[in-house]
Amino acid sequence: MNKGEELGMETFQFGEEIQSLMAVVQPPEAGNSFTALLELPANQAVKLLHSHEETAPNNLPSSVFPSAENSLETTTSSVVPNSSPNNINLVKQEPIDSDSMHNSSPNPSDPVVSKSTKRKERETNVKSSAKKIKSVTNDDGEELPYVHVRARRGQATDSHSLAERARREKINARMKLLQELVPGCNKISGTAMVLDEIINHVQSLQRQVEFLSMRLAAVHPNIDINLDNIFSAEVIILQSFYLLMCNFTCYAIIHKFLSVSTFIKTYH
Amino acid sequence: MHTSSKLTKEFTKKWLKGLQICCSSKKDMDVLERKKKIKLCADIALASAKNATTSWSIALISEAKKNDENEILVDNLLGPESRFKQQNIIRQMNSCHKRVRSKKILKKSCSISQRMKKMGPPKSNLAAYIAKRLVKKRTQVLQRLVPGGESMDEFSLIKEALDYILSLRVQVDVMRNLANATEVLNQSNSSNVFD
Repeated sequence: MNKGEELGMETFQFGEEIQSLMAVVQPPEAGNSFTALLELPANQAVKLLHSHEETAPNNLPSSVFPSAENSLETTTSSVVPNSSPNNINLVKQEPIDSDSMHNSSPNPSDPVVSKSTKRKERETNVKSSAKKIKSVTNDDGEELPYVHVRARRGQATDSHSLAERARREKINARMKLLQELVPGCNKISGTAMVLDEIINHVQSLQRQVEFLSMRLAAVHPNIDINLDNIFSAEVIILQSFYLLMCNFTCYAIIHKFLSVSTFIKTYH
Repeated sequence: MHTSSKLTKEFTKKWLKGLQICCSSKKDMDVLERKKKIKLCADIALASAKNATTSWSIALISEAKKNDENEILVDNLLGPESRFKQQNIIRQMNSCHKRVRSKKILKKSCSISQRMKKMGPPKSNLAAYIAKRLVKKRTQVLQRLVPGGESMDEFSLIKEALDYILSLRVQVDVMRNLANATEVLNQSNSSNVFD
């Protein structure tokens, strides 16, 4: 629990934290140091960036729409991010994850699509738009999503910052999914705060598991939870009806009765 | 949410099966031991209900296997066809631990060398720098929370955290329902006795 307390104190002392950070005089850490520490993604990204002569992917999903602006200042590069097993899971698990989420999009390119349409409405024809297309190719049974990134006007166009930006966009899309999942995160803006909420949520869930296992241990003298005795249907109905008659104003009992019935429903 | 109800059923079945296995081995455990066993069974059941699709579940299982007395429980619980039994997964986890250790050493040496430098303050990008530092600290904390998070980069960490949160919710719901159910029944039993 020391780490939890530590973090709790940290979140309430944001101001002091920021002051301490300003006091510590250090050069700004570019994304390069982070990627230097994690050798794998950087190596792969750089290696694949050098093999720029690879052919463009054949299949594009139908959500790709043509860009209206064709400025002379845009450059394109294709970046294959990260390692492939992660992305296979990414592509396959997106629909599973989003099934349980109300507002999230079933397609990884959908938040990008909505982002781009908003951007199109906002921008005039003078500026060039930054657009991203995620496409999946089937090369010998492997799925490698290609990310085409267009450089915005006035931004650096070397391969490192493009890869950096692609990575950041992906992470931001993921963070949006997380925001929808964790209650109360929708109104918060800023990655650090959202991460704070997520950490609190995970910690509270883990604490609830501990607490509930303690409750169960106290209730059951032997941990062989024999459900057949407990969950014979007539016994349940009679007992809970009896309880309701005695305690019809007691909402806790009603709530518990509901939980019993849900448990039976899910177990059988 | 049909996937989560499927997960619920799987988890419940495996958890109760694991508890039965636990109970057959020892008798007369005190409350704390029972609590530990219950929690352990719940964690292993949750991870095995995922059937090796996520890396946090693999990490959880391999952690549980390190303890020798849990070995039998884990093997029985996982079942014969489970993909966890593949040796290469376990080998991958071992190599991940080595990578984690070398990363930690590298991080420590990097941070020390940076503190030694103490260059002049480039105030141009101070806000972005502070934001990055805050995010980095929080990702470190999240890495410690999610099982197996030490060996993940930022992107897959977020994905694993998503999945982990969903599964934890399922676990909490099932346990809470069972706890409420047994309390209700105990109450009604005791009140029946007194009538």
